[in-house]
Order: sequence, then structure tokens, then C-alpha cells
Amino acid sequence: MNVELKDIHFNYGKITALDGVDLALSEGACGLLGPNGAGKSTLLRILLGFLSPERGEGRVLGYDIKKEQFLIRRSVGYMPEDDCLIAGMDAVTFTAYFGEMSGMPRQEAMKRAHDVLFYVGLGESRYRLLETYSGGMKQRLKLAQALVHDPKLLFLDEPTSNLDPQGRNEILDLIKDISSKKDIQVLISSHILPDIEYTCSHVVILNKGKVAAQGDIEALKEIQYSLYEIKTKGENGGFLKALKDKGCRVEETEDQIMKVYMPANLSRNEIFQVALRENIQIRYFVKSRTSLEDLFAKTVGVD
Amino acid sequence: MVISEQGYVHWQGTFIERRFPWWPITRLGIRLAFKRKFFKFVFSISLLPAVMFSTGVYISERLDDFQFMLKGQDRLLEVNPAFFKSYFTSEPLLFLMVMIMVLAGAGLICDDLKYNSLQLYFSRPLRKRDYVLGKMATVFFFLLILTLVPGLLFVLLKLIFAGSFKFLANYPWIPVSVIAFSLLVTLFFAFYTLLVSSLSKNRRYVSILLFLVYIFSNVFFGIFYSIFHNPYFCLLSIQCDIQQVGAAFFRQSPHYDVPWIYSFLVLAAICCLSAFVLKRKIRGVEVVK
Amino acid sequence: MTAVIQTKNLSKWYGNVLGLSDVSLEVEQGVTGLLGPNGAGKSTFLKLITGQIKPSIGHVAIQGQDVWNNYPLFGRIGFCPEQDAFYDEMTGWEFMTSLLSLYSFSRADVQSRAEKALDFVELAKDKDRLIRGYSRGMRQRLKLAQAVAHDPEIIILDEPLNGLDPLSKRKVIRLIKDYKEAGKTVIVSSHVLPEIEALTRTIILLHQGKILARGDIHYIRDLIDKHPHMISVKCSDPRRLASSLVGEPSVLNIQFGPAPDTVVFETQDRDKFFGLIPRLIVDHRIDVEEITSPDDNLQAVFDYLVGK
Repeated sequence: MNVELKDIHFNYGKITALDGVDLALSEGACGLLGPNGAGKSTLLRILLGFLSPERGEGRVLGYDIKKEQFLIRRSVGYMPEDDCLIAGMDAVTFTAYFGEMSGMPRQEAMKRAHDVLFYVGLGESRYRLLETYSGGMKQRLKLAQALVHDPKLLFLDEPTSNLDPQGRNEILDLIKDISSKKDIQVLISSHILPDIEYTCSHVVILNKGKVAAQGDIEALKEIQYSLYEIKTKGENGGFLKALKDKGCRVEETEDQIMKVYMPANLSRNEIFQVALRENIQIRYFVKSRTSLEDLFAKTVGVD
Repeated sequence: MVISEQGYVHWQGTFIERRFPWWPITRLGIRLAFKRKFFKFVFSISLLPAVMFSTGVYISERLDDFQFMLKGQDRLLEVNPAFFKSYFTSEPLLFLMVMIMVLAGAGLICDDLKYNSLQLYFSRPLRKRDYVLGKMATVFFFLLILTLVPGLLFVLLKLIFAGSFKFLANYPWIPVSVIAFSLLVTLFFAFYTLLVSSLSKNRRYVSILLFLVYIFSNVFFGIFYSIFHNPYFCLLSIQCDIQQVGAAFFRQSPHYDVPWIYSFLVLAAICCLSAFVLKRKIRGVEVVK
Repeated sequence: MTAVIQTKNLSKWYGNVLGLSDVSLEVEQGVTGLLGPNGAGKSTFLKLITGQIKPSIGHVAIQGQDVWNNYPLFGRIGFCPEQDAFYDEMTGWEFMTSLLSLYSFSRADVQSRAEKALDFVELAKDKDRLIRGYSRGMRQRLKLAQAVAHDPEIIILDEPLNGLDPLSKRKVIRLIKDYKEAGKTVIVSSHVLPEIEALTRTIILLHQGKILARGDIHYIRDLIDKHPHMISVKCSDPRRLASSLVGEPSVLNIQFGPAPDTVVFETQDRDKFFGLIPRLIVDHRIDVEEITSPDDNLQAVFDYLVGK
């Protein structure tokens, strides 16, 4: 277990931020979701040892979160949400500097800084002054400083905010590559659900200071009944009628997608037989799953 | 033949325990200071008083060579505690120290606040006191070059030029005073700089504030003194406070008839205030109210 | 349908920096998504059509009237800028009422509108707090509230979903769709393509200051000849299905994987391909789990056009 928390409580004065959080993460990438004020940032801060929980206990990478915060921080990389830099520096010095802060020997930190900057795609501009960096480059720089000391646990807070579609894809691919290494646990907090779906296999949903749901994304999205989403081309009046005759319940949505509830005795092949008979093209055929967004809304308890 | 692995690669080295975890911060502060415009210029100017006083030491010993300047006076210059006092409390030197602070010290904390880099520091194994120590040591570095180093150099030069230990025999406490007063002034300026630097996110404000507080504390003293003729107003002025304490350290009579301990307490109070503010301002996380 | 917003040869330079170059288009009622990489000219475009800056060349007309210096027209436009633009020392309530009183509403009207708008973005509870203490999401919602409080006909939103949590996003998306139903014109820019997809199928894609594509997403996709359509089939016997399609000239490429039960076809003629598929599935008794088009979405359109 890389992260294990039991019954964590934390208050800011009178405001309860975390109200009994239990968490267990083993490996791979995990998404941390929750509405504003659900306690995501507080949880990250506790895991990093910025804050000490008022009640409860936990271990990160085997270290106690109350007593061994120093050891935790040595093996944890943190990519904060807002832009961070030091004016008047270039990327190599900056990254190496924070490597040294983590306890790397100076020369090693310098060597590693170059490696990491090439990895995040800042190789060409690594001697430029940080003030001249664009938003996307600052984002990569933050990732580089989080990776420089080769952490075993990586916290990413809104890693794709303020990026354009290309920049976002590139960062997401980097995150995916990092988390494909079995020995690095990545924890991503984000409001952009498609990003979480793309990079993470697990998800933890926080609400009102409690864990509202956690587990494998695919498993959480699975629904029990046999519902298919179908998109067709052609005159589908006859197709619809034939499906209804076979006992299916059909709903049409605004995006020209049909939602077909199939009775248990009907096989998927029969739908294609109907399509063949009615001379209909089936252009899209997918077993319906709850979208992560619906799942989120349902867990958080709002429609 | 090998194709090395693409993508993310682990680092194979091992971490070290630094004896002084704050040292990289100090090194960075010094490096960034030298990158600033004017800094090199101001810093070299601020070494001038030391050069002049060194020359003074030379002249005082080689009077024969400078008879033409004597013009009937008995002695041109004597290296005595007053000589040290006048170096350490000279207005140009104090002013130049403030200028160095403005250029090298203003951004120390305020830039970190502005660019949100505190959270990067504190997500590493670094204590708050290491951070403050690192920043302070930057100030120490520059100011000790202007105080401690010349002070000890004067003693050394005096001994070399005189060729005897008479000077030390006369004033055995001088080196101790030099060290103690250098540390005191430097410590005060370090606290003062960090205090002002942590008050704002804007470097320009900090620079102006550092400068103005120093100048205006002096100006106010001048105004009040000329109205009320009460020497106790000298406590208002940072410059006078340092001068009063300096006089006491070098066993000279203070310029104003106020016990030096009061001035010392004023300086200490500013340091305490600074420590308090720093403790509150420097945190890894912004707590949303 | 008549065009609500019309631009002709719209161009803008800042000194020698290109903002927008030769954009002629018409925006109709409904929701239009505005996309493009950073620096493509999105914000410039939005500022031009809201009359905040003067075009170097060309015209913008809203409902037939020229926009530049046309103050009565501004009352019909709501604009939510990308950057924060607040008076930090004001409360949310003061901010809303002071902005609203710039329009010629009565005092009571100003109050009720401000209340309604704040209520809508769920800031009613925090309206008496200073904006300085607002979180990023709250600031975003306040910006949105001031854009819609005066009930404009044309709503222009620059990155409105940025920084919102998924629930607020959902609400805003629903609201924008409501505006569409009410016959208003909404232009939304965003960097997050799935969000645009959830809102609309009509897009304007800007790149290097020019229009790269405009219209319906799927229609645009069909026009991209360079990249054949990809069709992914997940089924019980992908190799059998593939072997019976190998001889088909419209199939350009067949690729297996990454999952063992998946095969991806590339074809230039989707109609023909989809016409063939049901027959094969039925004849070979293949149990099809999924048929999808992985590159028939906005992300693919964007990548193909902007060039990765």
C-alpha cells in the first residue's frame, strides 16, 4: 500500500474540511475528484505533511503522516495548481535547485535536471529565463520540478488547467507514461473529468469531507441492465418498429443516438439481423455505461 | 547492442543529509543578487569606505611620508577605538548597506510570495527555520563583507604596518568588539530586510519601503529634535540607534545623551517583530478563510 | 436563418503582432464553439465582436449594426472575459449592483436582477464577502453572473468553464443550452474539447489568426480527405471479420489491437463499409460488442487540422 489513511479529520477553525476519510491506494494512477470545497486540497496537504490531521492516522509510502513528514516529502513530488517559479532563473538551475532542496547532491541534481527537462519537452528552452515562459511551458516546468528527485508518489493538482488542446494532450501523455511505471503512484486532482478518464484507472470521489466513492473506474461505470447506444444512417422508422416488436424499449436522444434497452433473451446479433433486413447502417454500437460525469453527480448527490 | 529505454527513467543516486540544508538557498540568493543591474556597481562603491580607512591605517603608521599633509598638527590620524567607531557608524557606510539591502535583499521573500514558490520549498524536506536561515545568510554574506571583514583587516593592517603588537596590547578588546558589533548590525539588517520583504508581493514596494523607513526614521528624528530639543527622539531613528550602540561597543561617548541600552532595545524589538511576522507570513499553504 | 453576428475581412494587429487576419464569417442563433491553440486569436476575435477594440481592417456588425462605438448595442451583449477583472475590495453584491446600475435599470430592478443572477450561480450565500476572499471557482461564477444578469440576447463567454468543478460545469452547460432554446446567440471559447462537444456541434476553429474550419463537427470531419475514417470493432472473432473485408477496395488498412478482441479498419468510403458490415456479422454469426469511430470527434478534427 502506498497510501493508507484511516479516519482522518481536519478542521479550519469551525469549518470542517475532512470528516473521517479512509483511503487505500496501491499502484497506478488515481484520480481525486470532488466539488469545490470537498476537501481535496486539504487531503493533498495532509498527505504532503503541510498539515497534520486532528484525528486519525495514516501512512504514506510506509511513513507515518504525523511523525515522519520529512521522510514523506523526500519521496513525494508535488505539482501545485498555480504557477510557481523563481524570477531571474533558467529552467535548469531552477529544477536542479529544487533537486538539491530534496536532498540530491549538487552535481547529481544538475545532471538529473537536464534529463527531466528533456523528458517533459523543455529541452530546447531550458536555458531561457523563466519569466519568458508561456503558460504551457510553466506547466511542464512544474512537472519537471516535481519529478527531479525521482519521487515514488506524485501529486498533481489540476495539471492541465490553462492549457490548449495540444498542450493538454502532451501533458496527459506524459502523466500516462509516468504512471505506466509500476513503481510510481500518481494522484491527480482535477475538475476535467475526461482527463481523469484518460489517465487514471482508479478514482476517489470526495464529498463534504468524506469519501463518497472509490474504486476502479471501469467497474464503477458498469451498469447492470443491457442498454445499448446505437447510431444509424438510413430510414430508421422500420428499424425502430422491428426492434420494438422484438421487445426492446427505445429512446431517442437529441444527438441522434438511440438508447435501446434489450430484453435478456435477445442477442446482439439479432439487432444486426434487423438492421440487415431493414437496410440500415449501424454506425455506432456501444454498451451504455454511466459516464464519469453522471457517476460523479450521482455520488455527490446532486442531479 | 542496446536500445535504451524510452520514456521516464529513474534516478539511480542516493540522497544526502546536508549539514546545512539552507546553504543552497543562500547560494541562490547571492547568485541572483549579482544578476541584478547596478548591484555590482553599488557593491563595489560600498567597498570604498573600507579602502579609504585602510589607507588611513597606512598613513597613520607612515607619517614620515606624509609630512606635507601635517601642516603643523601633531598627528594626522590615530588608529584607536574612535577610528573603528567612525568606520562602523559612518553614515555613508550605513546608507550603502541599506542600498545593498534594497538591491539584494528586497526580493528574498517577496518574490517567493509573488511567484508562489513557497509551496515548492515546503513540499521538500525543509523546515521553516532552514528557509529563513537560508534567506538571512544571504544578507549576512553581503553585510559581513562590509563590516566584519574590513574591521578585522584594519586590525591586521595596523599590526603589519606598525610591526609590533602595541596596538593590541593597548586595546585587547577591539577584535571582540569588531566581531560583536558586525554581527549585531548584520543581524539587525537581516531581520529588517526580511520583515519588509515579507510584507508585500511587489518587489518595488519593498525596495521603496526599505529605503524610506530608514531615511524617514532619521528625518522624523531630525524634525522632532529641532522642535523639542529632546535627545530621546534619537530612538526613533534607525541610523542613530545603530550609531548609539556602536559608540557603546567601541567604548566611546555616544553622540546623544541617551543610554545606549535603549537604542539596543529598539533594535531588538524590531528583530522580534520581524521574527513574529515571518513566522506568520511564511507557510507552505494559503489557508482559505 | 439570418446571421446575428457578421464580420467582414476582420483583421487586427497589435503593433506588429498579429491578432486576427481576414476573418469573414456569420454567426447564427444557437451555440457556437470557438476553438484554437493558444495565440490563435480567439480572445482578439471575442474582443472585436464585443466592440472592445477597433479592427485594423474590416467590420463587425451585430444584427446589422456596426459594433464599434455603438453603445446602445452593448446592452444586448453579455461578455465573460477570460482573465479576472474584479475590484478585490468590493463584495460580490456591490460588484453586481454597480455593474448593473450602468444599464438603465431602475433601482429595484437592479437589485432583483443582481439577486437572481447571484442566486443562479449559487453565490447568494457569499454575496457579502469581499471578492478578494473568493476562490477561483467563485470568481469564475461571478464573472458569469455579470455576463448574464442584464438578460442579453448575445452572450459571449471566454473560457467560462475554466476552474469550475464538474457540478458547476454541468449547471453552466445546462444554462447555455437553455439560452439556446430561448433563441439567444451564445459564443463559447474553450480549451477543453469534450466540453465544447457537450455544448454544440457548430464550431469555429481559428489558427494563426485565420479561420481554419467552420461549421458542423461531423461535416468538417467528412471533409478531411487526408485522413481516412477509422472504425473500431470489438467482437468475438475480429480476424474472421477482417479476413472477409481484406478484398474490399474501400478498406485501406486493417489493424489489430491493442485489445485482442478489437480490430480497427480505415476506410475512405464509410457508406460502403457500413453497408457491408451487417451482412458479414449476420453471416459469420459474429457477436459484436462495440462499433465506434475513434476519430469522429472534435479532438480528432482539431488534431488533424491544427496538425500535431
